[in-house]
Order: sequence, then C-alpha cells, then structure tokens
Amino acid sequence: MDRDLTKEAIVRGFEALIRGDRLFGADMRPDILKKSGKGVRFLIGPVPPMRTLLSRWGVLFGNRLSPDELFERLAVSIHEFNHRDNVLLCARDRFIYDTLIVHGEEPIGGLTLEFYAIPDRSAGWLGRLLRRKSLKIVYIERIHLREQSSGYASSLFRDYEKLFHNLGFNQFRLKASLSVGKYYWAKEGFDFVEKEDLDRRREGLKGLVKERNLPVKDAEIARLNHAYDIARFRKDLRISVFRDGEGYYSLSGDETHVEEFQFPLGKAYLLCAGPWDGHKIIYTNTPRRTGFVFSRDYLDHRTRAGHRESPRRLEHLMKAIQKEGLRESLVFLAPYVPERDIVEKIHLSGYLDSFRDAAAGGGRTFQTADCSISPRSYEVALLAAGGVMAGVDAVMNGRVENIFCAVRPPGHHAGRDYAMGFCFINNVSVGAVHARTVYGVERIFILDWDAHHGNGTQDIFEEDPLTYFCSIHEHPTFCFPGTGRRMERGKGKGDGFTRNVTLRPHDSDDALVEAFEGEVVPEIDRFRPDLIMISAGFDGHHGDGIAGLRLTEASYAHMTRRLCELADKHCGGKIVSVLEGGYEGPVFAASVVAHLRALQGRN
Amino acid sequence: MYVGRRMTRNVITVSPEDTLARAAALMKEHRVHHLPVVAGEELAGIVTDTDVRNFTLGLTSTDRGGGIDVRDTKVGEIMTREPVTVGPWDTVEDALLILHRRRFGALPVVEGRRLVGIISKTDVLAAFIDTLCVEGIGVRIEVLVPRDANAVVRLVKTVGELEVEMKSLVLSPFRDGFVAFLRLSTIDVATVREKLRKAGFQIPELSDFLG
Repeated sequence: MDRDLTKEAIVRGFEALIRGDRLFGADMRPDILKKSGKGVRFLIGPVPPMRTLLSRWGVLFGNRLSPDELFERLAVSIHEFNHRDNVLLCARDRFIYDTLIVHGEEPIGGLTLEFYAIPDRSAGWLGRLLRRKSLKIVYIERIHLREQSSGYASSLFRDYEKLFHNLGFNQFRLKASLSVGKYYWAKEGFDFVEKEDLDRRREGLKGLVKERNLPVKDAEIARLNHAYDIARFRKDLRISVFRDGEGYYSLSGDETHVEEFQFPLGKAYLLCAGPWDGHKIIYTNTPRRTGFVFSRDYLDHRTRAGHRESPRRLEHLMKAIQKEGLRESLVFLAPYVPERDIVEKIHLSGYLDSFRDAAAGGGRTFQTADCSISPRSYEVALLAAGGVMAGVDAVMNGRVENIFCAVRPPGHHAGRDYAMGFCFINNVSVGAVHARTVYGVERIFILDWDAHHGNGTQDIFEEDPLTYFCSIHEHPTFCFPGTGRRMERGKGKGDGFTRNVTLRPHDSDDALVEAFEGEVVPEIDRFRPDLIMISAGFDGHHGDGIAGLRLTEASYAHMTRRLCELADKHCGGKIVSVLEGGYEGPVFAASVVAHLRALQGRN
Repeated sequence: MYVGRRMTRNVITVSPEDTLARAAALMKEHRVHHLPVVAGEELAGIVTDTDVRNFTLGLTSTDRGGGIDVRDTKVGEIMTREPVTVGPWDTVEDALLILHRRRFGALPVVEGRRLVGIISKTDVLAAFIDTLCVEGIGVRIEVLVPRDANAVVRLVKTVGELEVEMKSLVLSPFRDGFVAFLRLSTIDVATVREKLRKAGFQIPELSDFLG
C-alpha cells in the first residue's frame, strides 16, 4: 500500500465519518487502563479539532490511507459475519475501533481494537541490530464471540494481518485472560510479550509433570520456545481438568470446578494457568513463511585478529537484513542450549570434553591452527547446534514452512572426534539426528553447497542409507579439505546414499546450475526425502577469496527455488537451512539475502 | 624406500602341475593378474592372465578338434621361466623403472630362489599416493621456486610462520627452476597464497596448467 494521499483526501475522509456519526473523541480511563478484563477502558467524547485529528492520524497511518478507507477495511464482511454500530474513536495517543458483530441479523459478540505506537525497548535477544525507532501496535482490547464463531475470528485476523502489514504495523497485542482465550491465542500464534513469562510457564509445566508423575522429560520442556509450542505440547498425553460455571478451568476439582474434561497436556496447562500478555508479530504475506534463527551469543565465539570466520560476518548479515526490509517478514527465533546427550549422538564425549577444556582453559586454537577459539567458544558452538534444533522444531511443528539458521561457528568439517576448517560441532548433523529422534523423520536429504566439501557430515552419515548426503563443491585437488571426490558414494548399507559433485576452479553459475539440475535434482526425486536440510555456505561467490569458484547470488537463489519446489513435492515444503561458510561481508550478506528471499517464495 | 616395505607378502601362487582352469579361477577370485609359479618354495616362473588368454586365443579350431582341452593344460607348459625378479633390499625406484621400461605389471620378490613377495604397479601407485599425501585432509598449492636451496628454505619458512600444517612437499624440475607441490592442512589457502606472493614467490594460475 504505497500511496501518497493528499492532506485534503484525509480531511475528506474524516469529514465523511463525522457526517455519518462514526467518528468521536475518546478519553482513556486510567483507573481501568491498569485493570484487566471487564469494563470499558474509554469514555466517548466530542470530536477533537481537525488539526489534532490530522496530526494523530499522521503518526500512525501517514498518508497511506484515509480514515474512511480504514473504517471500511476494518468492517470487512466475512462469510455472513458483519460489523454493526461500529465507530472510530480518536484518543490522545491512539485510535480505537469498536463494533458489534452480527451473524445475519443476530448479534453474536463484539470487538474493540486500539492502534498506537510505543518506543521499541523489547529488542531483547535480537539485540540492538534489529531495533526500530518505534513499534506500531494493534491492541486487541476485547473480542467477545460465541464459542462456535472462532473460525470467524481466525479469518478476520488473517485479513487484518495483511491489512496492517501493508500499513507498516509491527505487532498484534492482547491480554489472554478469558478462559479459552489463554489457550486459543497461543494456538493462533501469539507469544508471551515478556521472555520471563515463557520461563515461568516452562517451570510451571515442569512442576505439573512432577506432581502428576507424567512421562515427560525435562529436555522436552526445555525445547519449548513459544506459547504456540506449549499449546501444541504432547497432544498424545491427556490429563484431567475441571471447569466452573463461568467457563474457567482449574487443574483440581472443587465445589465450583465440577465438570471434568480430558485435554492434551499443553492445552490443559494453558487453560488452567494465569492470564498472560500476548503479542504476535505481523509478518508480510510472503508466499512462504520463513523462520530465522539468530542469537547475539553467536558473536561471542571470538577468533584471532585477521581470522576469516569472525563475528563480523553475522553483523554484516544482520545489517543487510535490516536494510533489505527482511526484518518485517521473517519469523525470528532464538536457539536453545541442547542437552549433551543429543550432541553425543554425533560427537564423542571425550572430544566434547577436550574442546570444552581447551576453550575454558584459555587455549588459542583447538586441534588445528585454523580452529581459533576464545573462552566461550564451546558454549557458543553448542548453541549453534541448538539453533539448528530450534529450526527443526519450528519447521516440524508447523510454525514456519522453512527456516534459515544463522549460526556460527560453522559445522560441516567437524567429525565425530575432530575439529577442522573453522568447525567444531557438526550443526547440521545434530539437527538431523534431532529431527529423527524427536519427530521420527525417516529420510533426510542434506545438500551441502558450501565451496568446500562437507567431509565431517559425510564421515558421520556415509553408512546411513536414510540420511542422504550430497555435496557440491570445488574439486578436492584444488580446494580444502581435499576429500569429496566423485567416487566417494557411501559405504556399507549407505552405499549409494552419498554423492559428491565437483566443480572446477573458476566455474561459474552456468556450470553450477548444470551440475545441480543434472545430478542433484534427480537424486532428490529418487530419494523422496521427508525433510530437506541445507549446509548453506556462500564462499563459492566470486567475491569470496577463500575458494576458487566464481558464483553469484543467482546460483544460491536458483538452488533455493528448486529445493522449495522439490520440498513441496516430497515433504510439505519443509526445509531447514544452516549457515556454513561465506567470509566476505558484502557478497556474503547479499548471497544470504537472495537465499532468504527465495525461501520466502519471492523472486 | 625398499621393495620389502611395499611388496605384498601373502602371495597367491600356483604350481607347474596346476591346470590353467585353476590358475584362471585363482586370478578371478583374488582379483590379481599375475601368479608366481612355485615348486616347493622355489620360484619356477610366472603366469599372467595375458598368457592364459593368448594361449587360448592362439589355438586353432583344429587343435580344439584334435582334443586339446584348454582347461586341462598345465601351467608349467605356458609359464614364463626365469622371470625378471627383484629382492626385498632393492629399492622401489628400481622396481618402478623395471616396471615402466619393460612394461611389466608385477615383479616376483625373491631371496635367492625363494619367493618372499610380489610388487605390482598397484603397490607402486600406493607408494606414490602416500608420498604425495593425496588421500588425507589437505589442499594442494603449486609454487614456482628458483632452482636454489635457499629459495626452498625461504618457502618453507614462510609457510612455517603461518603455523599451517604441511602434509607433503614435493619439488620437481619445471622449466629452469622447480615447481613445489605443497599439500597443506588449512581451509584458508587464500591467505597462504597471498603471503607467498608477498614473499616474492610466483604462484601459477590454474590456466597455466590447463592449456
């Protein structure tokens, strides 16, 4: 909605609303503002002067649309649900939309929305990198509907999400306090505004599990990363809850909570827990919903001065994401620290211990001169693996269709007991084994398009016929690590489930696309994966001096687009992409941006 | 490097009295092309898959009609007597030159007349792979070095200062200098190249070799 309305058009819009008795002023009532739940938070008053209206309008809506247009768009008719007696109110710092909802002629509920802006202090884990000047909020002050109309609410908010994205709004917010709402809004994708709230819920859930002696591991709870994850948690495990006459639920029955129900664990827990402040980020209506895993902690693996794999790589990337406007359309997710036992399915325990001790003991390198370390390197490397696990979680439980995990240090050169080529823990392998053990994903196809052969990943999976490892890289005679020749095709039962496609130094997009279409695509079709993972290194770009290939962003965009099509065909679009190499700030960032846009289904 | 270190010790052999059918079956089973023929412990000759094939193809149809059964022919009738041999204390270079100049596939290794092993082209190739460190982790770079020991010292010193592990280093004559084949265990060869260029070494572009 890139429009430049004149001031006159906006004035005319206000005048039309005033003439139709649709626009009023409002005073917020501070006594009720602080309370939750019942009561109207504002008093209707006279219309403020036009100058005031215009300046308040300008702050929130600029000249993108006129007040009467907004009013009309808000009152959208869906199925046979309509708005009646609806008004737009102008308060000191916000506009308010209030309406009665009717189905046919019958009133079935009401809705109050508030639109305002607040300073952005909530950057939290995402860091200053992504902070905006202000956040524009659509606050769902009240939505009251008869129970059978929740499908209407979902449709309405999907429509609103598009509208408000185009208007440059950032978040929906609400207080989830009513009985079913505490669960419903989480299921609709609302998350806790306060990060501490999530921690508290996880603790509460742990307590409940302990109290009822349920077969749930702490590690499963530690993975819950979003209110949505809690709402969907352990659908297989039902527990009893009790409802009172007003429709509120409790974990224990008493004289008021008499009616017993059996609900899945996560749903039951949310229904019975206290109210929470929720927010949902308004993403674009990109064709695909794409996640992005990042943590500022990834900058804390500090390599020696002059080292190519430096924290600046991610700083470059985050700046590009902001500049390219991708911030508004990606679903940002935080990684978590994985339990050692899942990482030990890939790496030997003794190896992890010696890595931990080397980093904590102030070592400068680990195993080889390439692998520069700093005191927190071990924790950060674990968190990188946990980032891929969080990515797998988000894709497997459907919060996003595909995801890019912007992790470091990279992982594809690391094997069971060795670090090399800037890599310590094999992130993509940990993610794959997580997908298999927790979600029962059977066939996993890993495509590694880093300029260097993913020797660590190949070593780990070369005897496994269910994990197909395919690497496309510069020929090993010319390029580190010197493995990944065409004749390496897997071992034992895994024979035929490893594929190495080599490019000659100086090869460019044409050669890559030809090899990819001719040798990789048919293998994916033959293998029919249940999940596609990418070891996405961008050091084959001609601007990146570490290898000899001369690719451009077009190669990465092409492969991504095709992989999305193949993922649609075989596995519901599920792709987990993991950052590997790519060291030359600007071309690296541009390549990742091209990859992200293609993941989102854009051109 | 001596032949004894590179030869195959568990040799598949036949006796002169064995049939060609048995010899052919052994070669197929063990995927070898050469069978030393021994009488007792002593080397009596060598028979190759080429010998067997040539003998078979050389028979005319009359011979077949005349009742000669290839399968029953004895190894002793077609083997090469007094084959070229080496000893375990001969050098691999000797073996390499004999194999190359005489176009043999393998040489029996004897002490006196006693057979102790066999060294084939494959064994020599394995020595070559190990020497160049082709299989391990590493990346090869090629550096032009003047034919001067001090220049080689400077090359090694420059690499050493980068704390990069060197897996192998081969110098071979090239034009009026050397070309040094270094195999290095680092992902960041770009930096190595840059430092070497700064130190005055010439690093040929790939196109110099592709032509």
